[in-house]
Amino acid sequence: MVHFFQLLFVVVILGLVGIPLFSPKTIKNLFVSRDPALEEYKHLLVRKEEVLLSIKELEFDFKTGKLSDSDYASMKEKLQMEAVSILEKIDILENNKKTGKKASSEKIGAV
Amino acid sequence: MNDIGEFALLLALATAIYGLVSYVMAVKGNRVDLYFSADKTPVIVFGCVFVSSAVLLRAFMINDFSLQYVWAYSNIELETFYKISSFWGGQKGSLLFWTLLLTAYTTIAYYQNKKKRLEVFPYAMCVCLSITIFFLLLLNFSTNPFERLPLPPEDGRGLNPLLQNYWMVIHPPTLYLGYVGFTIPFAFAMAALITKNLDDSWIRLTRKWTLVSWFFLCMGNLFGAQWAYVELGWGGYWAWDPVENAAFMPLLVATAYLHSVMIQERKDMMKVWNMSLILLTFVMTIFGTFITRSGLIQSVHTFDEATLGYYFLGFLFFVILCSAVMIIKRLSLLKSKNELDSFLSRESSFLFNNLLLLGIAFATFWGTIFPIISEAVRGVKITVGPPFYNQVNVPIGLALLALIGIGPLIAWRKASWGNLKKNFKLPVIAGLIGGAILFPIVPLNSKAELFTYATFILCIFVMVCILSEFYKGAMARMQLNKEPFVKALGILIWKNKRRYGGYLVHIGVVCIFAGIAGSQAYSVHTEKLLKIGETLEIRDYTLRHKDLKAIQQTDIKTRIIALLEVEKDGKVIYVSKPEKEIYKGQNQPVSEVALHSTWKEDLYVILADYREDMSITIKVYVNPMVSWLWKGGLIIAIGTLIAMWPDRLERRRRLERMKKQELAFSPAQE
Repeated sequence: MVHFFQLLFVVVILGLVGIPLFSPKTIKNLFVSRDPALEEYKHLLVRKEEVLLSIKELEFDFKTGKLSDSDYASMKEKLQMEAVSILEKIDILENNKKTGKKASSEKIGAV
Repeated sequence: MNDIGEFALLLALATAIYGLVSYVMAVKGNRVDLYFSADKTPVIVFGCVFVSSAVLLRAFMINDFSLQYVWAYSNIELETFYKISSFWGGQKGSLLFWTLLLTAYTTIAYYQNKKKRLEVFPYAMCVCLSITIFFLLLLNFSTNPFERLPLPPEDGRGLNPLLQNYWMVIHPPTLYLGYVGFTIPFAFAMAALITKNLDDSWIRLTRKWTLVSWFFLCMGNLFGAQWAYVELGWGGYWAWDPVENAAFMPLLVATAYLHSVMIQERKDMMKVWNMSLILLTFVMTIFGTFITRSGLIQSVHTFDEATLGYYFLGFLFFVILCSAVMIIKRLSLLKSKNELDSFLSRESSFLFNNLLLLGIAFATFWGTIFPIISEAVRGVKITVGPPFYNQVNVPIGLALLALIGIGPLIAWRKASWGNLKKNFKLPVIAGLIGGAILFPIVPLNSKAELFTYATFILCIFVMVCILSEFYKGAMARMQLNKEPFVKALGILIWKNKRRYGGYLVHIGVVCIFAGIAGSQAYSVHTEKLLKIGETLEIRDYTLRHKDLKAIQQTDIKTRIIALLEVEKDGKVIYVSKPEKEIYKGQNQPVSEVALHSTWKEDLYVILADYREDMSITIKVYVNPMVSWLWKGGLIIAIGTLIAMWPDRLERRRRLERMKKQELAFSPAQE
């Protein structure tokens, strides 16, 4: 009885790991080749969110009296400049994608 | 049935090895078939370990003493509740339990990420499987829980009576949930290093894992302290024991990581530091289990058959080597382009907080390994006791406490002295007033009492700092949205769960600091032989010996209970019942402490000895503010729950981001 269960165990595991080896494949590549422009785009979207959140936080810090008027103004300006710069880069990438231009020819670790 | 359990462990090992090899081959050779085959292995390994664990648990439940492990840690009379805890009561079972949690966590991480088709995912699975293989090798070939006895005895040796306590049922699983949980952030961090995906996506993927693991580690430490307090019967809850230190160190490093990672998220900097911290946290968890299983250090918490030291030492060095090599290799990619805007900023306070936390962790590490080093070098084992830890860690701890208050009052990015002065005015005044009120009340005769006094002042300062944050935030909302104060406060917390959940955690930490300070400096104790009717006085309490009873609880357990009337201000407030429990086959009786706990102080009574003429020797402690520690733990739990609660706004932002990606670049990769 024990041997039967052991055998059953082995058969189930072999079946589970073996079936994918003999099944028809619907995809050819494991991962989409890494597009440096997409990577940059993803990074910029996250940075944009973080900078916008930082501006929100800065306003909150100002309202709760943690910042002087001059610090608030200078930091807000700096963050807004950063946000504008990020948005510009995002626009460039989006336009490049639309027009089919390549942002960079460098391929990063494509698998 | 035991054969099936043993066989399942072997199959788990074979499957894990197959999974590791096929994942590597699949990603290296773009073999889709092999990848999908490997993709089944994390779940199969978990299934096998689960079957094995279920078989071992069954053996405990049906008193199958043909298994050496069941015989060594259970007996027929043992309650079912403790039979469950016997599972992890010894080295073999605890390793199996660790592996069960590890494979369960790997399976959860697998289901969370398998559809995302991230490049880091198979590498993270490889790291998890490699760690699983190490544990499965030990379980199969070095410390097999299914080892048979040639002649099965009729009854088992039983579980150590000290472990027959409800805290001991929940403390090890909680601690293990924390220890093992850090494997997932470690695996994703290593995978990010291998694949060069070194933006903060691995941090976002593992943020919840880190928080959950930190929470369990924190609770595990507190539950362990509770167990030591109520079960070991020496009047305290923390002895700077090497095993306690081993659980404390990863908590410190993980706390440092949880703070510094916020700087990376906000400013895209400190990548090397954060990577190092998360790798170090995992190393510390392995170091912790090395300490308990090496046999090199004597402690009430180490396992009886601690023989796995060299295996864990080897594994530890392997992990450190791999982590260091990977960080050095990727150093150029981890370098940050951004800098701190100002020395006077929240970011700087986080950096100081990191240095202080690591300072405490290093001092604790040094104190823990010094006996091993001294024995290896000079042949003399030098014990490093509480005076060393207190001397080094107390001043650093006080600086850390001050930072808990200072941090929230400093603005992110840049603050000015003028605003700092304005913001600190109220907390400083509150601290000074508190100090002035306490000055005539608390004794100030020793260094310890002076430190305690300073701690109380700092606690008041920090509490006012944090509470003023809640107040100012709610007031700002009130003015902006014309909401009533309570509603504004509720919405403020709910919309900023991470920030205000974190502040609640800080309040819990302040309570713990206050509890430690009060109980360490102002605790008093006495010991006296009492005949029936005689009394003992300590502080405002009078304890009168009324009776001594012996109760045969079970065939193997006898309880000797002393009854002591406790009077305060001339009134009997309760009857204290300290016990000695005598277990058949055990040499030493076990003390069961009688505890009367209030927010102000604990009356802690131990039956040290008893005689046939009904006279007893009792030890009595009055420990002020100990309950503040446990209440602090509860506040930490609530705060962490709030901070971990899924954020709808964050989810919406993530979905919007993905939608944008899909629109601009199809197909999306995230």
